This record gives sequence, C-alpha cells and structure tokens, in this order.
Amino acid sequence: MDRRTFVKRTSMGSAVLFLSGMDALAYDDEVKLPLPPPIDVHEAPPGKRSPLGMPGLYPGRVVELSDARSIVGNRVSQPVVRQMLEQGMKELTGESSAEAAWAKFVEPKDVVGIKINPSGAPACCSSPELVREIVSAVESVGVPTEHIVVYDRFGYEMDIGSYQLLMPPGIRVLGVQGDRLDAAGYDANVYCQADFFGEWETRSYMASIVAGGVDKIINVPTLKDHSASGVTGCLKNLGYGTFNNVARSHRQPYSFTNPLIGVMCSVEPLRSKAVLNIMDGTRMVWHGGPLTQNQAFIDQAGILMVSTDPVAMDTIELEIIDKKRKEQGAPSVWERNAKSLTSNNGEFYQDASKNLYYRQPGHIAAAGKLGLGVSDLKQIDHRQVRMG
Amino acid sequence: MNNDRTPGPRTTAENEWITLLRDNGRTGGQGAHPLEAPSRARWQLRLGSSVRSAPVLHQGTLYVNSLAGNLHAVNVATGRLDWKFQAAGQIHSTPSLFENKVLFGCDSGKVYAVDRETSAKAWEVSTKGEVWASPVVRGGVVFFGSADGHMYAADGESGKAHWKQQLGGRVYSTAYAAEKNLFVGCGDGHVYNLDAATGKIRWSTPTLNGIDSSPALVGDTLLVGSEDFYVYALDARTGTVRWKYETGLGISSSPAATGDMVYIGSKDGTLYALETKTGELKWKARTGDVVTAPLVFSEGVVYVQSWGTLAFDGATGKMLWRAGLGGSVQGAPVIAEGVIYVAGNSGEVYALE
Repeated sequence: MDRRTFVKRTSMGSAVLFLSGMDALAYDDEVKLPLPPPIDVHEAPPGKRSPLGMPGLYPGRVVELSDARSIVGNRVSQPVVRQMLEQGMKELTGESSAEAAWAKFVEPKDVVGIKINPSGAPACCSSPELVREIVSAVESVGVPTEHIVVYDRFGYEMDIGSYQLLMPPGIRVLGVQGDRLDAAGYDANVYCQADFFGEWETRSYMASIVAGGVDKIINVPTLKDHSASGVTGCLKNLGYGTFNNVARSHRQPYSFTNPLIGVMCSVEPLRSKAVLNIMDGTRMVWHGGPLTQNQAFIDQAGILMVSTDPVAMDTIELEIIDKKRKEQGAPSVWERNAKSLTSNNGEFYQDASKNLYYRQPGHIAAAGKLGLGVSDLKQIDHRQVRMG
Repeated sequence: MNNDRTPGPRTTAENEWITLLRDNGRTGGQGAHPLEAPSRARWQLRLGSSVRSAPVLHQGTLYVNSLAGNLHAVNVATGRLDWKFQAAGQIHSTPSLFENKVLFGCDSGKVYAVDRETSAKAWEVSTKGEVWASPVVRGGVVFFGSADGHMYAADGESGKAHWKQQLGGRVYSTAYAAEKNLFVGCGDGHVYNLDAATGKIRWSTPTLNGIDSSPALVGDTLLVGSEDFYVYALDARTGTVRWKYETGLGISSSPAATGDMVYIGSKDGTLYALETKTGELKWKARTGDVVTAPLVFSEGVVYVQSWGTLAFDGATGKMLWRAGLGGSVQGAPVIAEGVIYVAGNSGEVYALE
C-alpha cells in the first residue's frame, strides 16, 4: 500500500463492496509517520442520499459572525448570540427571516438532535446559551419540544457543563454513554473497523440515537485546537462524537484521526442526517485542546460560524487557530517536529510549544476527498459579518 | 420565620450520615472526627456501574446509588453487599433516609421509597422529568424537584401527593427544608422560597444563570452558588442579596456551612472558604481539576472529590493529602469513626482508613 488509505464499505445485509482511495497523509518530510490501516465500514443500506446531508444545501459557504459583546467577563450573552445566530442563518440561506431560514433544514415532523461538544467543559464547550437559542429556533419551525434531543456521547462531561439543568423543561438531554465502557447506547449493525495499534477491540459502533433516534442533526462544535487531529470542529464533533471507542486511533506520538474522522462522517445515516453546523467560537482554544482548562490558552473570541459544509467550516477554523498560534509564537498545527513532542500531559497543558502527538489537520482535506465538502480555501465562500 | 432559624433535625451520632452533606442542616460532616491521611483501604467493592451521587450511612449500612439504576446496601463492617434494588432508569440522585426507608430519585422520573430491611419498594411517585435532586424529609413530608420544572411534596410514609408547584426551569438543586419554608435553586436562575405546607411561592430572587447548587441556611442567611460564577448570601426572609462573591467559573457545588464559615467549590477548580456574615474570603485553594461536588469537613479538615479525593486544612486551605481513589465530580465522601467512604465514576466504593 502506498500513501493511500483504503476504505471498504459493506452495506448491512449485502456483500456490496465499495473501494475509495484518498490521500490520507499530506505531510512534510520532517518525520516519517506510519501509514493508516484499511478501514472497513459497515453501514445502513444505501438509499436515496438526502440533499440536506453533508455537504448540504450550501457547499463551500461559511458565514463567520463576530461580536465582542457576545462574551464579556467570560460569560456568554444569550441576547447577543441570538442576534448573531439569526443574522448568520439569513446570510447562509438568503432568506429574509430566521424562521424561513431554519425551515430549510427542519420540518415540524422531525425529531431533531442537537449534537453539542461538552468535551473541555466548563472552560470551553458548546455554550448552553447558544444551545438554548438553537432549541428555540427549532421550536419556531414547529418541532414539538419533546422531539428535540440535546446529546453527546459522554454523560459525565455533560454533567460538568450542567446542560441538563440549563436546558428548558421538556427537552431530552442525553448522554449516550453513562460509563466509560457502556456500549448499550450503540447500534451493533453500524460500525467502522480498523486495527490501528493492535488494540483489543477494533470496532467503533454508531450511537443508536444517530442510527435510528433522530431525523436531523444540528451540529454545535467549538472552535478548538486538538492535540491529535489538529483542530476539533464539525467533522470531529460528528465523527468521534457519534462512534464509540475512538481514542484508540491515537497513541503517542502517532494519530490516525486522519483518515478515521472523515470516514466516520461519511457513514450513513450520519452523513444524511447532519444538515447544519453552528460553531461556537465565543471562546477559542488555541492550545491544549480538547480538554484544557488553562485560561491562558483560551481566547474570548466572540465568533459564531454557520455552514452546511463541515469541511469548509473546519478549513476556516484551521486558518483561525493556526493564525492565533502564530500570533502567540506557538508552532503551527502542521508542524511535525519530534522536538516539539512531550509525553508529559502536564507540560503540554502549560507549554504551547509542546504537543502530545503529530497532529493530523489533513483529516479535513481527506474528508473533502470523500465528498463531504470543500477544503480548498480558494473555493470557499467565506462571508465575514462584523456585528456590534 | 423565626422558627426556621433552627436548621432542622441534625444528626449527632458520629456514624450517622442520613442525607446529602450528612443531615438536613447541610453541616457537611461537622462534628465528625478529624481524619488523618488514610494509609489503606479497609475494603473496596466494585458495583459494576458508575456512581454519580453521594453515599449515605445509617446503622452500619452504606447506601450507594449507581448509574445502572441500582440502590446498593453495603455492610460497612465487611464491605459486602447486603442487597440491591433495581430502579426503572439511571440514578443520579443521592439517597436520603427516612425512618425505615431509603428515598431517591431516578432518571425515569420516579422517586422511590425502598424498605431498608426487606429491600422491597414501599412506594413510588412519578414526575414527568428526571429526578436528580436528593429527596429531603422534614416533618414526615418528602420534598423534591424534577426536571419537569416542578417541586413536589409527598407523604413520607405513603408517597401520597401533598402539592406540586411549577417553577421557571428544571430543578436539580436539592431543597433545603426549614420548618415552614423550602429553599431551592432552579434552572431558570432563581432561588425560590416556597411555603412548605402549600408550595406557594413566597419570594424568588434572580441570579444570572441556572442554579444546580443546593442551598444551606445559617441563621437567617441562605447560601447558594449559581452558574453565573457567584456565591450568594440571601436574607432568607425576603430574598434580598446580602452579599455575593465572584469565582472564576460557574458553581454547581453546594455550600457546606459551619455557622461562621461557608465552604464551596467552583468549576474554576478552586475551593473557597468565606465568612458567612460578610462573604469575606478567608482562603482559597486550587484542586487542579474542576469542582462540582459539595465539600465535606470534619474538625479542621475539608474534603472534596475532584477526580480523586482531596483533603485541605480548614484553617489555611493548605492541601494535606490527595488520593487517586474516588474519581468523581459529583460524589461526596462520608466520614464516620475514622473511616472515609468514597464512591466514584469507576463504580468502586472504598472504605479508607
């Protein structure tokens, strides 16, 4: 095998194989990294792919809104976030009202999942203030309150973020996994299989709430650096937030988040159900992600981004994070220098020049090659709206 | 209101820890013997499921709820399981003891009363949202909040409903039950004072974010934390803010009050010791991790679970010791007769001595 990863896709109940190649390793020659293993995908039978699914109704379009009033004293302002969200939705869709914009993605009969990112709570996670506004917007289209589910994989991380408390009554708040090894919330028929490091369990299963519990997914990632994947944005929040047993894809200093993140996002029905991405950049972690609580690496950026295209949005996110890192004198997320590595978590969380893995920001472009969106900056319709 | 200045039934026996923070006075262990750094585990028990609440102790039995929906009765002399009871859903609620019953809430929306002797269900009541708060009993009446946005009062013997009162958001805060008044925090950011007999709202005071924290009453001062980063001291008669103290992030932790001092943790990873009367900071101490659990103290020592079990000098805030056991951000230790009982996310229960 050369520098390509092979993905074998098997539909449930059939023996159909589909081979897809992609350039998984677009790295420089500073270090020689191991090649990723083949990944077997066992997914739902191919049906008519939803036009709302990735990359969605507006491929390549990213609306970035900024308003310094959206976060003051490390507290997110819900009224300001509401204005940003409404403006962003109108700009994305060209509709004159936010309600009409939302109606392009959600219907009253839908069960709507709001996929948050509580990893890193409480210092940096999907703001409850933003999530409440999304809930309100979904309700405005006519979706009953009891048909809205705010979810993530790890209940204990949601506990730390107090999402259960802070959502309106009637909304279902779900942690797919109660315990670390709890597999009850996953669908045994939909999985990705790969042996990265000789691990005991080589399968990662799709959360049942995604496989069969919701009709549409609103993805609410955060603007955040990630020690293994470069950044954690739309793609990682969806892929690694939907399948279990994913931490096995990185073992110091190597990371196979590229290509696994993109492959997971391409699996049906996740691909078709994820119709909209709203990135919370009120806080931005430019080093120490995804779990840092070190405020020195968390910028109160006051940004919100809206897109149907997770690849395009993550490409913009990558630019923002890397720019900030350069401003702070930290190495680029693309750097592959062995001298920058540490196996000491404490050092990583205090020193922006150190990292735990060779990061894999190329996972975004790899996902683009799977058809999930646009990764070429020149092709991205990046609309910046300054408010307040 | 004068009658409410007494904080309700307090536990004096050292080996009794009947509800969240030991007793209805939220004393957090006050009076328990000081504990040296534990040198060994007397026993450990694997429950097989994560523990997201605090244990309670009564007559030699430790009661522990787990996420798998089990109430466990553990013999503290042997560390063996006497019995377990299966509820209809996950459990995040700290058990509370009333006469011969163990009371707790469940994510299914039910509150159960389980007979301590037979492990049989004595009664159950249903709400329309998960019940994470710990039921509180005063005068034979059990009070609890639900994620359906209501506070409930029911008869402790039978579970028969007395009243329910709609609040403005989800209720995860464990109520403080004074003789005639209930005090509880709410997801809508308000602290509510309800008439304990009727559920009628007497006053509510807004904060700037939801309230997970369970209030404590010292004299006529009500103490509670808010997700708006502040610790509040309210006049219990009127709800007027007497003082507030700003921490670095939201507060889910519940205050433990000694009278002169109130101890509370913040999600900023810091413990705060504040003077009850003025809110003046006496000391603060970093734990190294987020703190959402309530604090517990014996004479001179403050304990907290924060991905481990930590002990601090109550006078200075200096860390005395740290144990990797009891990894949890929701649990709280039980201290009795020189033993510290902790349970955590791993599903292990330890008796440390």
